Amino acid sequence: MRMDTVIMGGGLSALTCGITLAKHGKRVTIVASGQSTLLFNGGSMELLGSIDGQEVTAPLEAVATLPDNHPYRKIGTERIASLASEAKQLLDDAGINMEGRPDANHWRITPMGVAKPAWLTLSDHMRIDDLSHLPAKRVALMAIRGYLDQPNSMLAQGLRSLGMEVKVVEFSTSDITSLRRSPSEMRATSLAKHLMSNSALQRVAEQINALANEADLVLLPSVLGQNDDNDFRTLQSMVNKPLRLVATLPPAVAGMRMQAQLRHYFRMLGGTYLMGDTAVSGTFDQDRLTAVTTAKLGDMPLKADHFVLATGSFVSRGLMADYERVYEPVLGVDVDADADRECWTRFGVLNAQAYTQYGVATDNSLRCLIEGKPITNLRAIGSVLSGHDAIKMGDGTGVSMLTALAAAHDIIGR
Amino acid sequence: MVTNDIYNKEYDVIIVGGGATGAGTARDCALRGLSVLLVERNDYSTGATGRNHGLMHSGARYAVTDGESASECISENMILRRIARHCVEETDGLFITLPEDDLQYQQTFVDACQRAGIRADIIDPAEARRIEPAVNPSLIGAVRVPDASIDPFRLTVANLLDARMHGAETLNHHEVEGLIINQNRVEGVKLLSKRDGRHVEVRGRVVVNACGIWGQRIAQMAGAKISMFPARGALLIFGHRVNNMVINRCRKPANADILVPDDTVCVIGTTSDHIPIETVDDMRVTREEVDVLLKEGVKIAPSLATTRIIRAYAGVRPLVASDDDPSGRSISRGIVCLDHAKRDDIEGFITITGGKMMTYRLMGEIATNAVCAKLGNTAPCVTAAQPLPGSEEGGPSQSDLTKRYSFGERAAIGRHGSLAARIEKDNDIDNALVCECEGVTVGEIKYAVHQLHVHNLVNLRRRTRVGMGTCQGKLCSCRAASLLGEINHDVKGAQEDLAAFLDERWKGMRPVAWGDTLREAQLTAHIYEGLCGLDKVVDLQGKEDAQ
Repeated sequence: MRMDTVIMGGGLSALTCGITLAKHGKRVTIVASGQSTLLFNGGSMELLGSIDGQEVTAPLEAVATLPDNHPYRKIGTERIASLASEAKQLLDDAGINMEGRPDANHWRITPMGVAKPAWLTLSDHMRIDDLSHLPAKRVALMAIRGYLDQPNSMLAQGLRSLGMEVKVVEFSTSDITSLRRSPSEMRATSLAKHLMSNSALQRVAEQINALANEADLVLLPSVLGQNDDNDFRTLQSMVNKPLRLVATLPPAVAGMRMQAQLRHYFRMLGGTYLMGDTAVSGTFDQDRLTAVTTAKLGDMPLKADHFVLATGSFVSRGLMADYERVYEPVLGVDVDADADRECWTRFGVLNAQAYTQYGVATDNSLRCLIEGKPITNLRAIGSVLSGHDAIKMGDGTGVSMLTALAAAHDIIGR
Repeated sequence: MVTNDIYNKEYDVIIVGGGATGAGTARDCALRGLSVLLVERNDYSTGATGRNHGLMHSGARYAVTDGESASECISENMILRRIARHCVEETDGLFITLPEDDLQYQQTFVDACQRAGIRADIIDPAEARRIEPAVNPSLIGAVRVPDASIDPFRLTVANLLDARMHGAETLNHHEVEGLIINQNRVEGVKLLSKRDGRHVEVRGRVVVNACGIWGQRIAQMAGAKISMFPARGALLIFGHRVNNMVINRCRKPANADILVPDDTVCVIGTTSDHIPIETVDDMRVTREEVDVLLKEGVKIAPSLATTRIIRAYAGVRPLVASDDDPSGRSISRGIVCLDHAKRDDIEGFITITGGKMMTYRLMGEIATNAVCAKLGNTAPCVTAAQPLPGSEEGGPSQSDLTKRYSFGERAAIGRHGSLAARIEKDNDIDNALVCECEGVTVGEIKYAVHQLHVHNLVNLRRRTRVGMGTCQGKLCSCRAASLLGEINHDVKGAQEDLAAFLDERWKGMRPVAWGDTLREAQLTAHIYEGLCGLDKVVDLQGKEDAQ
């Protein structure tokens, strides 16, 4: 099998890169292990949320102050604005309806009721553009009885501290009650499956209309729509108040929905998505990678002109650490990481941890290195890259999409 | 909160220390009809009780070097199998000889076991490999002994519950700041409630110092000098149970030579280092300790090399100094009971220390005998015969368990024995699973809050195993924190508690943060910081160390 490009990894960066290449007529194969950090994404993209503990309000301006080794600086500060608008367009084209701007962060609402800076948020999820002009004064927080992955009291307290009046309204429907009989079934994904039919949504709407009549905004945990936002639209049409979803603890339906929509769009464009397979090794010819072997295809290696490493950070097994070292497990490319294990972490769980910025070393064209020398047709994108910090800087999804676009353009231009 | 009724009473005996020894002493005193108050500065079983292997020694380990401790162990071992059967798993143990060890030691060992009354059967190495497939296959000798696995958290709580059923009062998060002393007599304790910051004085006719290594400080408050010999031991917990029997090295006790199966995990330990008494509160495990434990552990069970390590922890053995042995291993682990009236001319004050978690009951008996002698009480000790709550006759059998109960119910019965019947499970809300790794339901959490003195998530973990499974509290801790916040009507407190809980978990994960443990840590950070923003509402800086 010969492709134009093989992408290792199947999350946000892989799909963004694959879609862009496929749109330009390239033959692309994505090798996706199925582990993606989108599975705990509450429905927002972040470009840049924080620098040195200070919240960022204008991400495009703040990018210039990032250190040189940050991926945004590598792809060029001046390109960030146009890449960000291209990313937004790509999401629109995939049917993912999001709102927000790259020059000014808005606020997403976390499952604990914290307002965190964000670039884009799903249109059916709660968002606050300006903390001094709240979208609602009186909020009804619909709490599904027996559902433990929405910490309602924390969420309510958070919204109150922002200045809203919040009433927590517990409810259930016959569909939810039947789900509850099995103690481990009350998770967002099973709720989403059981609340797909019009009749099930009608029963939720009846509860909301009966119980939330004093509110000017109704919030529901994000348990609707694993494939698109149609279930939300249906429910909204049945409810006589403005309705928004709020993120829950994982599994996050919103992130699964985004993943599904991107994957669907990629396949529509003719891309090949190998689900549940993993790249395990590569064959090099001097400064070029010629083929990648996967776990399932075995002795049928994937050959291509270009390769993209989008395997994610430790959490997705794109990076690994053992007793002695941090390494990139598929191709053994160079990593930026401290050699001494003692430096990887610190006591204090909420302190910045050094390992979260570890990743694959690249040149300024995002090309991977082996023993300091660039592999000319192998680029790294997304969370596998070093020099950024999705957790402390709120730049994970932005880095994923923008480095993916930059790498795709680079490949198309050649 | 604590009512003044508890503070204003005068007790026959006040026990300081909520480890196994304090709990066992409280139970014994209460069963003999004394009025009892037990106070603990942190949570029950925070000290050495909760920081060991969870090994119910047969005594074989001490047979060669310390015959007296060995005899105590085997006798208590047989008692605990009866009175605490819901805390014990009867695994048996092997003492293996590896090619690098001296096989002649095996006979010395078996002879010493026989002298101490411990059954010790030499078995063929092939037989050892068959009954314990995890054992190092290159072993050249094996001896089978009646070692077992015991849950010290459950054991301590069962003793406290029984004490309370017999009228005792128990207070966790109450620190002794000083003693009430009149002339040369100790007449009570000065307490700081860490729950509400109140300072109170409570009177008692006898005060028992059952604080383990921290007992030196309490004795100082009375003007008595005890020289403890703090011997620190570090251990590693592996993510699943590779062995089904306890495996020991058949040689003189040394570093990392015991591997114990505990519930769903297994534990290798320990190191042994004499440390300065000032550092006994620093339980962080060092890189050197981890390196030693891994290197030696792999020799016992080679599959440990590829098994995920979920956390590291350390405890301090409360040995009493007798000579200058730097390893602390040749010091007797024997029980030390001091009546300070005879020793230091201080009336109304007893120290019980030394010993081991597994001889806690005997220590309780000895201390209670000393208390009763002072108070003129002549009731006999019944703790060796009377089962602990949860271990009474007539509980469900193994086959009943698998046939008739759900996963959550089975797990709860395993943890609480016959007391599991008190857990609400009549509706589907109470049956909802909070912790999927360990099968903890909403009903069990309510039971723990109302019956087992749970004030925070760390308390809850010790009572129910919430967050102790392979995921180390990734999702269940938020569910549980949210429930506690609602029960206690304190949302902010619940968030701070959640952060402190995650920090306490990280303390154990950090020394072994590579492989899947590092991966779990990053996943947890993604969820609680990235997704939830917990770091924006909680400031851990300057918070008291979460014990």
